[in-house]
Amino acid sequence: MNFEGYFPTWCPGCGNFGIWAGVKSAFKNLGITADNVAVIFGIGCSGNMNDFLWGNSFHALHGRAVPVAVGVKIANHKLPVVAIVGDGDCYGEGGNHLIHAARGNHDITTVVHDNRVYGLTTGQVAPTALQGFKSKSTPSGIIEIPLNPIALAIVSGATFVAQGFAGDINHLTGLIEEAIVHKGFSLVNIFQPCVTFNPITTYDWYNKRVYKLSDKNHDTHDLKSALEKSMEFGEKIPIGVIYQEDRPTYTESLPQLQKGVLVDADLNIDIDTFATEFV
Amino acid sequence: MVDLTVKIGGEAGFGIQTCGLFIGKIAARSGYHAFEYSEYPSLIRGGHNVIEVRISDDKVYSQEKKTDVLICLNEETFKLHQDEIKEGGAVIFDQDKVDIREAKTANKNISYLRLPFAKILKDASLSLVMMNNIALGALMHILGADFEVLKGLISENFARKGEEVINKNIQAANLGYTYAKKNYPLGYKIKIPKKPETPEKLYISGNEMVGLAAIASGCKLYCAYPMTPASTLLHYLASKSEESGMVVKHAEDEISVINMAIGASWAGVRAMVGTSGGGFALMVEGVSLAGITETPIVILMGQRPGPATGMPTWTEQGDLLFILHAGHGEFPKIVLAPGDMEEAFKLTLEAFNLADIYQTPVFLLTDKYILEGHQSIEESKIKSEKLKINRGKLLTQEELIKIADYKRYQDTDDGVSPRAIPGMKNSLHQANSYEHLEDGHTTEDARQRCLQVEKRNRKVKTFLAKDAKLPTFYGKKEAPITVISWGSMKAPILQAMKSGGEKFNYLHFSYLFPLPEKELTKLIHSLKSILLVENNSTAQLGQLLRMVTGVEIENKLLKYSGRPIYPEEVLEKVDQLL
Repeated sequence: MNFEGYFPTWCPGCGNFGIWAGVKSAFKNLGITADNVAVIFGIGCSGNMNDFLWGNSFHALHGRAVPVAVGVKIANHKLPVVAIVGDGDCYGEGGNHLIHAARGNHDITTVVHDNRVYGLTTGQVAPTALQGFKSKSTPSGIIEIPLNPIALAIVSGATFVAQGFAGDINHLTGLIEEAIVHKGFSLVNIFQPCVTFNPITTYDWYNKRVYKLSDKNHDTHDLKSALEKSMEFGEKIPIGVIYQEDRPTYTESLPQLQKGVLVDADLNIDIDTFATEFV
Repeated sequence: MVDLTVKIGGEAGFGIQTCGLFIGKIAARSGYHAFEYSEYPSLIRGGHNVIEVRISDDKVYSQEKKTDVLICLNEETFKLHQDEIKEGGAVIFDQDKVDIREAKTANKNISYLRLPFAKILKDASLSLVMMNNIALGALMHILGADFEVLKGLISENFARKGEEVINKNIQAANLGYTYAKKNYPLGYKIKIPKKPETPEKLYISGNEMVGLAAIASGCKLYCAYPMTPASTLLHYLASKSEESGMVVKHAEDEISVINMAIGASWAGVRAMVGTSGGGFALMVEGVSLAGITETPIVILMGQRPGPATGMPTWTEQGDLLFILHAGHGEFPKIVLAPGDMEEAFKLTLEAFNLADIYQTPVFLLTDKYILEGHQSIEESKIKSEKLKINRGKLLTQEELIKIADYKRYQDTDDGVSPRAIPGMKNSLHQANSYEHLEDGHTTEDARQRCLQVEKRNRKVKTFLAKDAKLPTFYGKKEAPITVISWGSMKAPILQAMKSGGEKFNYLHFSYLFPLPEKELTKLIHSLKSILLVENNSTAQLGQLLRMVTGVEIENKLLKYSGRPIYPEEVLEKVDQLL
């Protein structure tokens, strides 16, 4: 029951190791056991964690981990539900799902591996690639500007938005714990160096730039300053909890679920009363 | 012997649908059977809406081409439908609004019942939107129906809006009734007086019937994105969700719809999605996901004419082969196609059981014709249906705790593996969209791959041996022609059989896939002369039957105008072949 799976097949030095350690430690610290959790994986190097983090899990399709996670939570809102996804997965293929899961304040935690490339398909640009980044699909450099996941999540209605760094496992573990404990939709975007395909945003690159918001006087409940922080990217990049809000979750707002979880509801329903209106 | 059709037409927004519903319910409450078919464009206001209700003493299976009584709430209705009035039929219209001077129907001995809708309402200071009540009131008189039945319906329908609204609507209906009685005391030649003591009937649409059955099946999550003709199922289930305890989720797109349902189903809840062709196209990768993760799911597919946006509010059976082939890779799926309200109820219950038993996607393949049309059905046919909920190999906590080394994808003789749900003690497993080992871990090992492919395919064999059903035979064995069709086309074919029972019998497919090859081939070869009837242009069931049995059916009646096949067309084709 300790989430021990196969030894990872990630490249040595991959940022995924830090995230893997962070997720496992967070589960352990929160007393979550392997059969009393639902971990929903997307597809990509991030999703390959499915075999290295052995808990009750559903390995979904590329881009679709979030709606699967929402469905699981509706079925059993007492079960902790964590989606482990990548930047292409969650911000490209599944971008629409992210927006709407945030709006609905579905009580799931979305852990995004943001390495700005598509690792598993050999290094094409991700939606978070820095403008001008050269890859196999953009040999002259990407024309688009990077998507801002933190700002997008905040304006979409996410009630817990944090920025982590795979190079700081202790700090990251704390963020993931807070995100899981938070009631409502939480997003933890994690800067993850890709040692094979991204020579720009390396451990070194991030180490020089990141600073902890907890050391500053940042009011996580203030929407305006949260949005300001979400725009801070360059010489200094904040990590930590950027935004937090208390709002009823989706399942808390459903009268059908106030008596108990959906999966325990009685299946045998007498339809006589329902049939009467058609007579 | 009562067999008559009432047709009412007017602009969208004038309560044509409500009128049709009332006429059908009046018939059902008075002891008759009724069948409703409607045509309307993809618009909210304006445009031509027409609804027809066929009423009969015994079971009525479908609409007919001709009309006994045509009620015109505008001039267009008369212009478009005057040719459909039967010899000796009647037209109800407002002489101030509808010009019948150029009527082409003068030689058909038609009664013209002039009813000044607008003037009557104006004189009583009532709103023009109550025109349909005037028409209904007048209809009650000319058909000799019990006015109290209409009064009861109005009271129920406007119960939430209060006494004043109810009274005004009844007043309008009464004005129509009185005017017709005074000016046309004899009324129409066919009458539908209230019968004493008949079994209670439901008058219900296909969408409502599937919804009712979903509630009865213990479905706890219905997920959809609105799309005609499946939208009214979403509306029905949403309106009942607090009473039924079902969660009804209108998600952001159909991709999310099917993935949410799969997530909920993996977590142990019976889940269903509903859509039409375009929406289903977006769900296709999800069907494949349910296939490999072996997650039960029921998919209601309401066909309408495509390709692409096609003709949203019309009907077709054009997606059978699409459904059969939907989803990349090889995995089992089950396709059921109800032909009437009784089958819609039974097959919905069956779909949930089969999804749980075989842990794979099950389709309810329907269309606009059956989903949006209303039919009467004896309530007893539903109440007596005590089909037990069967969750297949879903493990209980007690069973699971005894298993030493639980494997979600354990190789078994019937291809179905015991299913645990997350959160149970000892449930540890992974549902994996990648090919996997028995315990759920990803694999690319050749032997393990073959093991899982064969395990999944074995479910088809088990289904064919245990749960597949041969097509149902209707009519006289000795009839010279056998009509073959599927799903909703059962309606016009059985209606045609009422008068042409000596000429043909009918082989009805409601279990469409997988088909038992040997038995079916033997059955098809035993038939003398076959006529294939389908509401599409490429004879899709014909193609499937050729694939399974090798038999090519040459005689076909195919219709793809967006309109359903009429019983008259079936008879005409049968006569050509005799």
